[in-house]
Amino acid sequence: MSNSGSKNRDYPDILAGSLMIGLGALGLWAGRDLTFGSAAMMGAGYLPDVICGLLIAIGAFVLMKAVGKAYEPIGETNVKPLIILVAAIGGFAVMAETLGFVIATIWLLVIGSLADQESRWKEIVISSVVLTAFGALVFIYGLGVQMPILPF
Amino acid sequence: MDFLHYLVLGFSEALTPTNLLFCFIGALLGTLIGVLPGIGPTATVAILLPVTFFLPPLAALIMLSGIFYGAQYGGSTTAILVNLPGEASAVVTAIDGYQMARKGRAGAALAIAALGSFFAGTVATIGLAVAGPTLSSFALSFGPAEYVSLCIFGLLAATILAHGSVIKAIGMVCLGLVLGMVGIDVSSGATRLTFGSTELYDGIDFVVIAVGLFGVAEIASNLEFKETRGILQSTIGRLWPTKQEFKESWGAVLRGTAVGTILGVLPGGGATLSAFSAYSVEKKISRTPEKFGHGAIAGVAGPESANNAGAQASFIPLLTLGIPSNSIMAMMLGAMTIHGITPGPSVIHNQPGLFWGLIASMWLGNAMLLIINLPLIGIWVRLLKVPYRLLYPAILLFCCIGVYSVNNRGFDVALVILFGVLGYVLRKAKCEAGPLLLGFVLGPLLETNLRRALLLSQGDPLVFFERPISAVLLIVTAGMLLTLILPAIRKSRKEAFEASED
Repeated sequence: MSNSGSKNRDYPDILAGSLMIGLGALGLWAGRDLTFGSAAMMGAGYLPDVICGLLIAIGAFVLMKAVGKAYEPIGETNVKPLIILVAAIGGFAVMAETLGFVIATIWLLVIGSLADQESRWKEIVISSVVLTAFGALVFIYGLGVQMPILPF
Repeated sequence: MDFLHYLVLGFSEALTPTNLLFCFIGALLGTLIGVLPGIGPTATVAILLPVTFFLPPLAALIMLSGIFYGAQYGGSTTAILVNLPGEASAVVTAIDGYQMARKGRAGAALAIAALGSFFAGTVATIGLAVAGPTLSSFALSFGPAEYVSLCIFGLLAATILAHGSVIKAIGMVCLGLVLGMVGIDVSSGATRLTFGSTELYDGIDFVVIAVGLFGVAEIASNLEFKETRGILQSTIGRLWPTKQEFKESWGAVLRGTAVGTILGVLPGGGATLSAFSAYSVEKKISRTPEKFGHGAIAGVAGPESANNAGAQASFIPLLTLGIPSNSIMAMMLGAMTIHGITPGPSVIHNQPGLFWGLIASMWLGNAMLLIINLPLIGIWVRLLKVPYRLLYPAILLFCCIGVYSVNNRGFDVALVILFGVLGYVLRKAKCEAGPLLLGFVLGPLLETNLRRALLLSQGDPLVFFERPISAVLLIVTAGMLLTLILPAIRKSRKEAFEASED
């Protein structure tokens, strides 16, 4: 805190502060039409507004302090696995209700497996087939999750 | 006499074949994920939460708690054998446990850890059985003002006792509270923060947040870099500890149990904090502190007993007051809500079978863990060799189907992506996701009671100070926050948690 040189920055805290401010503002914007009311007769918007305000204040505080803190980097980052996972899960979400369990799951497992740089095709094929069969038996037939198995 | 009567009731519930089976499954799964690095108990409970829909309520709770305390046993196995703590609470066990393993005493370390944990689990379970009825009958007199103060106390205390920055943790609580408000407002019928999406009218499902923040985000950060594994100590050695080792560890077991039971009850406490505190207690009172770090058996016995006692004791506030003290307890609360049970003081009175059955199952589960862990240790060691790349696709599948099955719709799965990304960013920003989850589950309770209390007092905030219990809770909370501002305490808190940052 004491030595506030311009190079001294706590980047994780800057990220945290900005995130809180952003999400708080988003909350305020989303709840802009709600009635605020008073403490005795709280409207639907009373607490969301108060807490979003608090979130923004805390975010601003964290951000302000972060600029003066000792240097701390975000750390090594590799977003590739995350992006691949998003694609895999997103595909499952879109396909589950229409194309059915088998297609959605194979997409999820094959694409998802690519997220690991050490993955091997032979293993992916075997584990996808085994897990799809296992999942269909346990979840769809066994537990009765309501999802079509195949598109037709 | 009442106590005995309830104990009999509890065991008759817990000993039914179904419940015994799920107790065993829970303990087994817990050990498994405790042994495997890369999946924690929080993520596992999150992933299995939807599956418990299909179980009777008691069996579901028994299985989920088995996972939690089973993970404490399993986590110590890898800590001792490969210097790789499977769980955060086993980090301190690795210090002396791994040194013992290098000296060929891995067997003794494992045995002491398991026996100490069993003893601690038994004591904490009795503590829960004794404290439960007392605390809950006390809590039955709580009005809205007391509940508001209790929630605030619980949420803030959890942020102070958990590790990491307090102010960021409070921010996370606020974020959780806001997320809990999404959907239709019960009092006015207005839709809040839904961005016009009809799918969000019922609010965000607890499972979606839990799986996103703890399941998907964890996989994404585990996959960021190539995995590194410790070197396995090939010989486990004789399992049974020597007389000398017994002599050196029984005191540590007793002290660890006491530390764990007390700290486990506190919000934000639980297994990890208990283990760290027990280790520093042992090191301080030891006549040979220089031995610590070089294979002192007390350094294994104390923390191991403490983490198990802490895990068990953290059920006390949830089952008696309805206030979860850490993210796993928040999941348990979620599981109870799924089954239509409102956790709180009334559970003991309205559903004694559930309360006492769960307690009895915890003791049975601890006994099972002794058998699962000691004679079968060889199997768990072999499991350590399963690479993560074969493991995580299965986790991913469980996440997706589990979330889908909550409402049978793909929308929830898509929402998981959002929380997965949020969880990943939070990790980069060094924010703990636990407080967010606590805020999310306590939000509705806090809001309903806050509105009620202020409606009754006609908007006068002094009502929270006029009721004695509420005033005490708020004063304690304020006191805790004040002490944080004092530089000396801040420094020692930082030191206490520095070791735990992994």
